[in-house]
Amino acid sequence: MEIEQLEIREYLETCSPLDKLSAECLDEIVKTLEVAYLRRGKLLLNPGDENQSLYLIRTGALELYDTDGNISAQLSEGDWAGHRSTMLSGIVTRKVMAIEDTLLYVIAAPVFKKLLKEQVPIREYFSERKNERIRSAIKDISNNERSTLISTRVGELSHALPLIVESTTTIKEAANRMTSEHVSALLVMNQGESNIQGIITDREFCTKVVANGLNLEDTVDTIMTRNLITMPSTATASQALLTMARNNIRHIPVLENNIIKSMVTAADIIRQQSDNAVYLINEIHRAKSVEELTSLSKQLAPTLVNLVKSGLNADDTAHSISSIGESIAKRLLRMAEEKLGPPPIPYAFIIAGSQARNEQTAHSDQDNALILSDDYVEEKHDEYFLALAQFVSDGLDACGYIYCPGDVMATNKKWRQPLSVWRSYFKKWIDEPEPKPLMYASIFFDLRCIFGEAQLLEELQTKVYKRTKKSDLFINLMVENALHYRPPLGLFRHFVLEKTGAEQKALNMKKRGVVPIIDLARVYALKAGSHVINTQERLEAAAVAGVLSQEGKADLKDAFEFISTVRLQHQAMQIENGKIADNHVPPEELSSLERRHLKDSFEIVSTLQTAMERLS
Amino acid sequence: MFSLFTNPDKKRQKLLEKVENEILKDYLSTPMPDLKLPASEVEFLALDFETTGLDANKEAILSIGCTLIKDGRVKLSENSHHFIQVNREIPPESVVIHKITDDRAQTGEHLHNVLEMLLEKMKGRVLLVHYDKIERNFFNAACKEIYGDAPPLLIVDTLAIAQKRQDKLPQGFTPNSLRLFNLRAAYGLPRYNAHSALEDAIATAELFLAQMANGDGLERVRLKDLLSK
Repeated sequence: MEIEQLEIREYLETCSPLDKLSAECLDEIVKTLEVAYLRRGKLLLNPGDENQSLYLIRTGALELYDTDGNISAQLSEGDWAGHRSTMLSGIVTRKVMAIEDTLLYVIAAPVFKKLLKEQVPIREYFSERKNERIRSAIKDISNNERSTLISTRVGELSHALPLIVESTTTIKEAANRMTSEHVSALLVMNQGESNIQGIITDREFCTKVVANGLNLEDTVDTIMTRNLITMPSTATASQALLTMARNNIRHIPVLENNIIKSMVTAADIIRQQSDNAVYLINEIHRAKSVEELTSLSKQLAPTLVNLVKSGLNADDTAHSISSIGESIAKRLLRMAEEKLGPPPIPYAFIIAGSQARNEQTAHSDQDNALILSDDYVEEKHDEYFLALAQFVSDGLDACGYIYCPGDVMATNKKWRQPLSVWRSYFKKWIDEPEPKPLMYASIFFDLRCIFGEAQLLEELQTKVYKRTKKSDLFINLMVENALHYRPPLGLFRHFVLEKTGAEQKALNMKKRGVVPIIDLARVYALKAGSHVINTQERLEAAAVAGVLSQEGKADLKDAFEFISTVRLQHQAMQIENGKIADNHVPPEELSSLERRHLKDSFEIVSTLQTAMERLS
Repeated sequence: MFSLFTNPDKKRQKLLEKVENEILKDYLSTPMPDLKLPASEVEFLALDFETTGLDANKEAILSIGCTLIKDGRVKLSENSHHFIQVNREIPPESVVIHKITDDRAQTGEHLHNVLEMLLEKMKGRVLLVHYDKIERNFFNAACKEIYGDAPPLLIVDTLAIAQKRQDKLPQGFTPNSLRLFNLRAAYGLPRYNAHSALEDAIATAELFLAQMANGDGLERVRLKDLLSK
């Protein structure tokens, strides 16, 4: 009969989860398959009716309703319908209607049930537990390409036993040993003990010994860094890199059976892979001019590609990319201070938005502000801070972090104010919320100090968070704000069907993907009175405070990670193809499995948005 | 007298009385479906022949593919696909179309075996084809050659249905738009591998379902209104 040559069979072979079945198993399905055609507007499944079929959409589209009769999803080519009723009672509970003329491949209930029983991929795919499906998808998607960094263990990269000196060794002796042994770090131990007390790297000689004019005959324990950060030898090189990037260090002692056996340095890993975040951050720290920074910032895109390809998860990738932007801003601030002299009064340089949340994926516009000490006197001090803000802002723009279109920058006098004025801003936003200030509020609740006196921001926030937690009016308006962007109801090959019926060629993975989750997390955090700003951390804090269920937290975190991964992979692909990374993912770029998991993710977000809407 | 010859089932009964071939006799002993039945209650055998050329008196059938429409659905469990033994050279220009080579054709089954199976499948059913000249003429020629007589046929032709609909359009139609592939595309049906007899039979069956869904619906159309003359 030669069914293996049938186009229908070829098609089934590309459909998830049938693609995981053996050829024989697929043949069996084709042999009993039926084909049905449904005219637009006709019901496929009617609540209360019996259903004994599993439907696969070949062409066309269906609309799925929830038990209350609201549209809950739109299904398209490669999507399945009828599995719920077939797997459960055989009685339809949710209405399914054709919204386009639809060609369906039909698998009879006995065949489907046999597959469920015998085939693990089928069982997993049709599992009612969306979160489990997404979790396994995150694993799949990020392990697609294994690079050397993720497959290399730090144990393989690190040097033999690192040099160890006693804590009574003088600074001078230590320096001499390091020079003669050609190492950039030493471990320090107390005499007669086996515990490592600390680490000295070549940086300590610069930042502590020389900068503070220490006596070279002092002992090394006065300059060593305690609280050693270590890693097991089984950790991957990418984990080591990340730890270095997050802690701004370049040496990590490697443990075997809890004993320090070796040391891995940034240089060791860089030798493995040259375009990476740590290397870049290191170069940024050393850059001497804005021009140098500008040219270094061009490596942000290839670095993103490498991070994505190395299989690093989306959270860590965004963290690394954000660290690069942060380093550039910090370097510019140092340059500004070198140029303008030390600041006349204390200040905090604040960043806002995705960079503050450590969720940046590529270059984006800059959002920043200055909180000045209340010693501020405009006539005496503003000239300095305007010049500082201008220098940093121009430098960021030159590095690809373009001027903020909404003018939320420290160059704008409104956002270059002493602490007391900032307090009055927040008081007004919270007590008398209006739409425009509310937009500011959502920007200014994602703040982080990257340079200067972090305490200024902390003082501001402590009062603010007390106030927001108590203000129902404000929280309600923030909720409304958080529900502004909705995830799409369905994904189609060439467009995304919106609630309004408008067509779009691509799916905006920022506005319709990550932003709804970021906005939800912000509101949860406000309700919880939490100061953390990273979305994943906010969700954790909300669950701890009890304003979000454990299940809701786990689901949203997974959805966020999955959507972010899809977005990052799209951006990495664009960069590789010589394009500028954007957020518009055409649905045809996604595999059928990815489309399904995206829909699951969107459904989770939708459910939690609805829940939030009902509570407010 | 006239109605006797135009009513296919009367024709069948008449032929049954005089026919001697056992196989044909067996086929003719099953009544044909009632022409007044709604199309939704009729079983359609979607059929396609690949041939060495267009003239049924000179050319040969290379392969036969068919599938069934029952209860408004195509049943792939009823698929059947047969290559026919042809002991002569196949014109190269036709090989290009159907991809059936001399070697393939020589290893095929005997036409009389396949025809017997086909007749068994046709019992009580209506044939569904796209452009009925080929299947009708080749089927009649084969039956006459093997059984000495050809049974009356009930045939629904998706091309004729499309033509009838397009005739009603003010802009008319182009012959090209009536090709199976183009008609399917117009209904948003997927692109199947053309020129495999089974694939074309399935493609025709799906096109028919789409035509019916976009018309009055299978339930409301009577068989006699669909038949190709």
